[in-house]
Amino acid sequence: MKLEIKNLHKSFGDNEILHGISFSAKTGSALGLLGRNGAGKTTTIRILMKVFEANSGEVLLDGVPFSPQKGTIGYLPEERGLYPKKKVGEQMVYLAELRGMNARDAREAVKKWLKRLGVEEYENRRLETLSKGNQQKVQLAQTLVNDPSFIILDEPFSGLDPVNSQILKDVINEEIARGKLVIFSSHQMSYVEEFCQDIVILNHGNIVLSGDLRDIKREFGKNRLVLTAVNLSGEALSEKIREEYHDLVTVCGRWKDGVIMELNGSHRKTELLGMLADSDIDVENFGNYEPSLNDIFVESAGDEA
Amino acid sequence: MKQFWTVLKFELGNYFKSKSFVVTTLLLMGMMIAAVTVPTFFMKGSSKADPAEDEKTTLAIMDEGGVFEDLTAFEESLGQYNWINCLDEKEIEKTIEDEKAEAGFVVKAQDSYVYIVKNQGLSDTYQTSFENALSMFYRDTRLREQGLDPEQIEALFATTIDSDTKILGKNSAQNYAYTYILVFIIYFLIIFYGQMIATSVTSEKSNRAIEILVTSVDSNSLIFGKVIAGAFSGVVQAVLIIGSAVGAYRFTRSVWSHKLDFLFKIPMNVWITYLIFGIFGYLLYAFIFGMLGSLVSKTEDISKSATPVTMIYLVSFFVAILGMNMPDSLMIKIASFIPFTSTNAMLVRVTMGTVSLVEVIISAVILVASCGVVGVLTAKVFRFGTLMYGNPIKLTHALRKIKEQ
Repeated sequence: MKLEIKNLHKSFGDNEILHGISFSAKTGSALGLLGRNGAGKTTTIRILMKVFEANSGEVLLDGVPFSPQKGTIGYLPEERGLYPKKKVGEQMVYLAELRGMNARDAREAVKKWLKRLGVEEYENRRLETLSKGNQQKVQLAQTLVNDPSFIILDEPFSGLDPVNSQILKDVINEEIARGKLVIFSSHQMSYVEEFCQDIVILNHGNIVLSGDLRDIKREFGKNRLVLTAVNLSGEALSEKIREEYHDLVTVCGRWKDGVIMELNGSHRKTELLGMLADSDIDVENFGNYEPSLNDIFVESAGDEA
Repeated sequence: MKQFWTVLKFELGNYFKSKSFVVTTLLLMGMMIAAVTVPTFFMKGSSKADPAEDEKTTLAIMDEGGVFEDLTAFEESLGQYNWINCLDEKEIEKTIEDEKAEAGFVVKAQDSYVYIVKNQGLSDTYQTSFENALSMFYRDTRLREQGLDPEQIEALFATTIDSDTKILGKNSAQNYAYTYILVFIIYFLIIFYGQMIATSVTSEKSNRAIEILVTSVDSNSLIFGKVIAGAFSGVVQAVLIIGSAVGAYRFTRSVWSHKLDFLFKIPMNVWITYLIFGIFGYLLYAFIFGMLGSLVSKTEDISKSATPVTMIYLVSFFVAILGMNMPDSLMIKIASFIPFTSTNAMLVRVTMGTVSLVEVIISAVILVASCGVVGVLTAKVFRFGTLMYGNPIKLTHALRKIKEQ
């Protein structure tokens, strides 16, 4: 199944939050919905779930208008919240029933998911008595309790220790493998890189980048090279290349140990490699530059940083 | 609709399983039962024919003026007391000081005496009893001197006039008590449960459960479920508390000698009026409290936000209380058609004033329609305010925005 968001516009009063955003996602994969704070991610998610109506634009599932039925979407909001004074099992059954399950199925599903996430012993405990990490797992369990086809996770890893993060990663991978469509919103880029085949980066209500993550990385790394030297720091190396090889390459970035360069005009990297071999630079690492998602995000959405 | 029932069931569980609800209800039920039954123990006690002699208070007396030919006969006319005869005033004082007697009397003449007591309390009745007996003695003596029979004179004075009252309208004096109680019940329900309903709506915003709820349930089912659950819990609590009083009275009715029948013998037309106007008036306020609860994000902001509606209700309450003294006044007539005041005002008119059935029906229709409009408005305001955190939103601002949408 393919979920398409087409030309969404949303305003609150005179303030337009979304300026016509479009992207698509397909089942059996995860989409990373990224953006700085206030970029419009949560508004997009709420329109998708019909919490708000868009001013214009549409959401289509396999070409027909998408109308989420009860239990179709499992949502883990960034603003975590359940009933702190109610028992874990009781409130989860309530939410499952609200999403259309009957009481018996709801109780079974609650037990299953609490067990899968390793918090089954807390079923009859009040939520507020659990640690933050365990509360987080209860939140995830309620997201998945109705076996939703679409799973929207907003910062799912915040507050989890490495062991619990691994459990969550396994669960998300299982759900993707079961053919679910996962929309994943996070500022922890390493997790996004791990799960998401496609990404969408929002900035001020506009999509500034979208597509297959590997293609994006390739595109961002195109014509760019990375160089580190044993005998020179990143700063010294940058200085030397600017002085001696400015006809061949332009330094477009550096860090403590090395530099990122872009070939000028029609020059080829073998030319640079030959020149480096004849120089006094003790090359440690030379190759195509593959940007991290973090680099891509900062470059795409960091205009006012 | 299924979602509404799910919300209602969950919210009712929140009320009924809450320790404070259970403890308060049981406590108030116990107090009601005690209020009805405990006085009956004393009633039984006072009806004893011959109370033990040692329960009688002892008083001292000295006939200084030689007033009584037979002092014992006079003392017997005050048979509720034990008497110590003293020879002089000093002896009386000593008897009182030694706590052998509570008080004492030095009779100087048929119309003059000195009352001696250690500490005179507010509820001291010895002197009154003594003075009544002495003046009767004085009267009898004087009448006999005139050759008249005091018993005949007494019989003439004691003649009772047989009378019957035919009330063409209503007996306001008798209806006052139960009207007052019925108005008070609604008062407590609205004031206490209104706050609780607002808190239940706000708490889902403050604990962010609303983020998940709005994606799981439609907002109308959520707000209606919450408000109606709060309102229903209040009615259940009221029925249990009042029911325990009624039940206790049924068991003790004969001991009470049917004295409280007037409180419980409420005519059917009053019950019907009370049920219709009470339920819809209560719901009207419950919706408003729910609406105000959805406009704030922190439970501590509720009381400030709810103050205006509480004030409106207090006005309605005092209009009714004032109206009970003048149930056919223009003020109460106007108030009985305004939805915010009609619950109490119409009840007062039905129980104590003059009102036609048509007026009652018109007022009920206005109230029910207002309740519907406010219910729909509450759902809209709830939907508008539900995901807005931070400072409390003004109701006028919310209504303006909803109108713009």
